Amino acid sequence: MGQHNLRTVLAFEVTRTLGKKRFWFITLLVPIAIGIVLALVVLGNMTAADTAARQADAKLAFTYSDASGYVDPAVATELGGTAVTDDTAAIAAVKSGTEEAHFVYPVDPAETPVHVYGVDKGLFGNEAYNGLATQVLITSAQDRIGDPALTALAQGNVPITATTYTDGVEAAGFLGMIPPLIFVVIFFLVFTLLSNQMLTSTLEEKENRVTEMILTTLNPTVLISGKVISLFVVGFVQVLVFLLPVLVAYVFFRSSLNIPELDVSSLTIEPRQMIVGALLAIGGFALFTGTLVAIGAVMPTAKDAGSWFSGLIVLMIVPLYALSLVLSDPHSPVVQIFTYFPYSAPITAMLRNAFGSLAGWEAAIVIIELFLLAALVLQVAARLFRYGSISYTSKVSFKTVFARPTGSATRK
Amino acid sequence: MAPHNEPLVHIQNFRMDFGSTTVVEDLSFDVRRGETFGFLGSNGSGKTTTLRALLGIYAPTAGILHVDGRPFTPEAGSRLGYLPEERGLYKKESVLTVMTYFGQLKGLSKKAASAWSSNYLERVGLGDHAKSRVDKLSGGQQQKVQLGVTIMNDPELLILDEPTKGFDPVNRRLLMDIIEEQKRAGATVLMVTHQMEEVERLCDRVILLKDGRAEAYGTISEVQNQYGGTMIRVSYSGEIPASPHYEISTRDRNYAELTLTDTVDEALILRDLVQAGVLVRSFTTSKLSLEEIFVTVYGAQNEMVGA
Repeated sequence: MGQHNLRTVLAFEVTRTLGKKRFWFITLLVPIAIGIVLALVVLGNMTAADTAARQADAKLAFTYSDASGYVDPAVATELGGTAVTDDTAAIAAVKSGTEEAHFVYPVDPAETPVHVYGVDKGLFGNEAYNGLATQVLITSAQDRIGDPALTALAQGNVPITATTYTDGVEAAGFLGMIPPLIFVVIFFLVFTLLSNQMLTSTLEEKENRVTEMILTTLNPTVLISGKVISLFVVGFVQVLVFLLPVLVAYVFFRSSLNIPELDVSSLTIEPRQMIVGALLAIGGFALFTGTLVAIGAVMPTAKDAGSWFSGLIVLMIVPLYALSLVLSDPHSPVVQIFTYFPYSAPITAMLRNAFGSLAGWEAAIVIIELFLLAALVLQVAARLFRYGSISYTSKVSFKTVFARPTGSATRK
Repeated sequence: MAPHNEPLVHIQNFRMDFGSTTVVEDLSFDVRRGETFGFLGSNGSGKTTTLRALLGIYAPTAGILHVDGRPFTPEAGSRLGYLPEERGLYKKESVLTVMTYFGQLKGLSKKAASAWSSNYLERVGLGDHAKSRVDKLSGGQQQKVQLGVTIMNDPELLILDEPTKGFDPVNRRLLMDIIEEQKRAGATVLMVTHQMEEVERLCDRVILLKDGRAEAYGTISEVQNQYGGTMIRVSYSGEIPASPHYEISTRDRNYAELTLTDTVDEALILRDLVQAGVLVRSFTTSKLSLEEIFVTVYGAQNEMVGA
């Protein structure tokens, strides 16, 4: 009967959530927003490419004066330039619109700014003047050096591949951090979108006066468990919906979006980190869900529960404000407190796990702590639901609930 | 299952404290199988608390509360039909979805629960509303759905806490029909109500709760006897003499109500009146109504509605 009822509650809760237009509206809002942004980026890139092509075709006519002697007249002429000696007259010509641009190269262009005067073409159009003025100098310098490779080295264009070792084994580096960081993103996104539903899941029974009919057919622990599991299922569906546009964008619009080709084989997936990340995410989700369900069972309305909810959110995200400390000094007292305090532990521990600063024993402690506390909170939530949810119009105090004798002790 | 001659509901020395407040004290009564039992009392006398403790929603401070020989657990919910005082339904789902859900929780398969619900909705004229959201129904229509949820799965024990509270006359009639139908089918009915005429019409036995204690308990006739039993209404001319056999509870110009103080034969009272020179025009005897007993026990200040 218990299993039957758990399945019944699970099916009811999942079906009613997935069947609501509001759920899909909110869920699809994220990928739609991502899609719109991606579309704008694609459109922008295409426009930029067209503009660049047009600008490449349209040669800009300019005048210049060169006090440095670095400008190669042949290069300048090739790029549309005409040498002049009277800067005042050239600037006046630009002002009157008879010339498009005039560049003044100083004695030492490495130290003193090159002055560029041009007809205003808007924020992006004006950038062409700067680019052209620089291009004249670079091309002149390259011609003088006579060796493109030497020019590149002088510009600092040096690709470097680093290999580091941890305990004699090649370290994964940045590519090794990406996979476990996904759990932080998933945890944060799913919690943010489902938290309101977690909070109101038991409030609904209370506000609709369904509690007594439920409690005579269903053990409150079964009900709470069913609701929590259903939130896991709904969260999983949301994650899939979020990932879909990312996948579509990568497969079909990778080049348009300038997304670097992701060589999956280059990502280092460390099984231990992935398992720890998954356990931290699940344990944290269970703890936060149980806590919100418990708050919902005690409070008479969603409005009353709101302030508790805000406090919980702050506790959850506070480690992000100390991100630099988590990265640079993971063993500092502040980070240690965040790591072991249950409500800041999930994000802190998941970040440290991704950055490789969470030792195995630390991970074990946090995971055990999260799961034990989640189980305890679920028990408390069930008890609060039993007694709190029939206090239809008032808040139930913990003292009142836990002062009650247990049914088995007195109902003989 | 307990032996069939055992009461279906057995409450013994039940006590319920909330902090330092004792709500129910040393309450004992039985509800026999197949009977309709009236659980009566003024507002705040502990009726709903007793029902919640009986059904395991509250943990009692002391005492034995058994349904069919053991404490009630939700696993036995398939044999219970409970219409609580505070009642409602999931509002955002369709009527059929909600009814099917409760049917499944009571142990029916989804198919059976759905089929039962559809038949019931047809019966009460809500067949066209099966797929409507509950909050789109009128208050009266929602009450019909609540009744349906209560009697799903043909419960062995029907507990109704102020069942007619907020019901319109049509639904009150429907409820009474359903109670009588369930009774005929062998269900045991335990009902809390302030409608005394319904109690007199439906209930086999009653208990009156006052300040958390049993004030009276037994058949309606036994309770009536406990509170003065018989009343004589007399239309007359002359002067009614004093007598050790009755008290004059009401006296108008030519009308009086005499409450008997012992089990004397009513014919003897009539003879004494005639012998005392009273010209008796009419002489009728009747039992005290439950309504009158209720007012006597709880005082006129008690409201007759609400919990």
